[in-house]
Amino acid sequence: MHEASIALGILDIVINRCHAEGYRSIDSVTLRIGRAAGIMPEALLFTFDVAKSDSPAGDAKLLIDLVPLGGHCSGCEDDFEVEGTYVLNCPKCGSPTFQIRKGYEMEIVDMEVT
Amino acid sequence: MKVKVVTKILEANERLAEDNKKRFRDAGVFVLNLMGAPGAGKTSLLEKTILKLKDRMSIGVIEGDIAGTDDAERINNTGVPVVQINTGGACHLDANMISEVLTEIPLKDLDMLVIENVGNLVCPAEFKVGEDMKAMVLSITEGHDKPLKYPLMFQESTALVLNKIDLLPHLDVDIDKLRKDAISLHPGIRIFEVSCKTGEGLDRWAEWLSGLR
Repeated sequence: MHEASIALGILDIVINRCHAEGYRSIDSVTLRIGRAAGIMPEALLFTFDVAKSDSPAGDAKLLIDLVPLGGHCSGCEDDFEVEGTYVLNCPKCGSPTFQIRKGYEMEIVDMEVT
Repeated sequence: MKVKVVTKILEANERLAEDNKKRFRDAGVFVLNLMGAPGAGKTSLLEKTILKLKDRMSIGVIEGDIAGTDDAERINNTGVPVVQINTGGACHLDANMISEVLTEIPLKDLDMLVIENVGNLVCPAEFKVGEDMKAMVLSITEGHDKPLKYPLMFQESTALVLNKIDLLPHLDVDIDKLRKDAISLHPGIRIFEVSCKTGEGLDRWAEWLSGLR
C-alpha cells in the first residue's frame, strides 16, 4: 500500500504549484505511470480521493495514463512492447539482449486549474 | 486552464535520499538497505553477519518495522548500536524517516550502516533512502515463483541471499529456476545460498559484504 505515500507525494507537488502560481483550485491531475512501476492504479485512485479532501485539490480528478513496458532489442534491432511487468527475452526474436526504454514512469504530466 | 507540471512523483523522497547519501559519504560509512518478505530471515541474517564481522569493522543498524521493538532488541544483544523506527502502518521506510533518526546513530564511528527495511516484497523497492546498495533476503520456502511475481525487487537488488537452504531436501522449490529467473531479470545479481540455522554459506556472504566498503 505504498500508493498512499505516492498519493500524498502527488498532492504535495500539485498543491505547492497551485499556491505558488496563485490558482484557486485544482480540477484534475494527469499522471504517466509505467506498468512495471509497481503501482496499482485502483489503489492510487482510492488513496488520492481520501487524501485530497480539505485541500485546493478537494474536487480534483486523477487521470492515469498507463505506459506499457517496452524497449529495443539488439538481436533483431526492433522496438517491442509487452503486456506484463517484466521482460526476460525479446518477444519478437527471443534474444536476451535488449534495453528497456519505458514502463517505469512515475510522473505528473500536467494539471487543470481554476 | 492546463498547467504543465512534468515532475517525478517521488522527487521529494529522492532529494532527501541524496541528502542522506551526502551525510553517509561525509561520515565515511557504507550503507546497505536490506529488504525481503516478513519471515525471510532479514534479522537472523543480520545477527549472524554482525557476529562474523564486528571484530573487524564497526557496524550500526536502523531497524524498520510497522510496530514493536523485537528486532532492535535482537540486534542490541549483538552489541552494536541500533535504532528502531516504527512506521505505524507504512509498508516501507522512506528517506525522511531515515534522516530523522540519523542523529541517534554514531555515523562517524561506523564502517557500515545496515538499514533493515519493513518486511515487504513490493514497496521498499520504490523508495531510496540514501543507501550505497540494496540487497534482498528470500527464503527458499517462499517458492521459485517470486522473481517473476516481484520483478522490481530483484532488479533493484545488487545481491540476493537465499536463506533456509538447509530445508532444500524437504521442499518442492526449483532453485535452478529461481536462480535463472533472478539472473534474467538482473544480469550480474550476486546470489548467496545460506542457512542462518546451520551457518552454511554465511562466511562467503560476510566476506563479500565486508569487502565492499
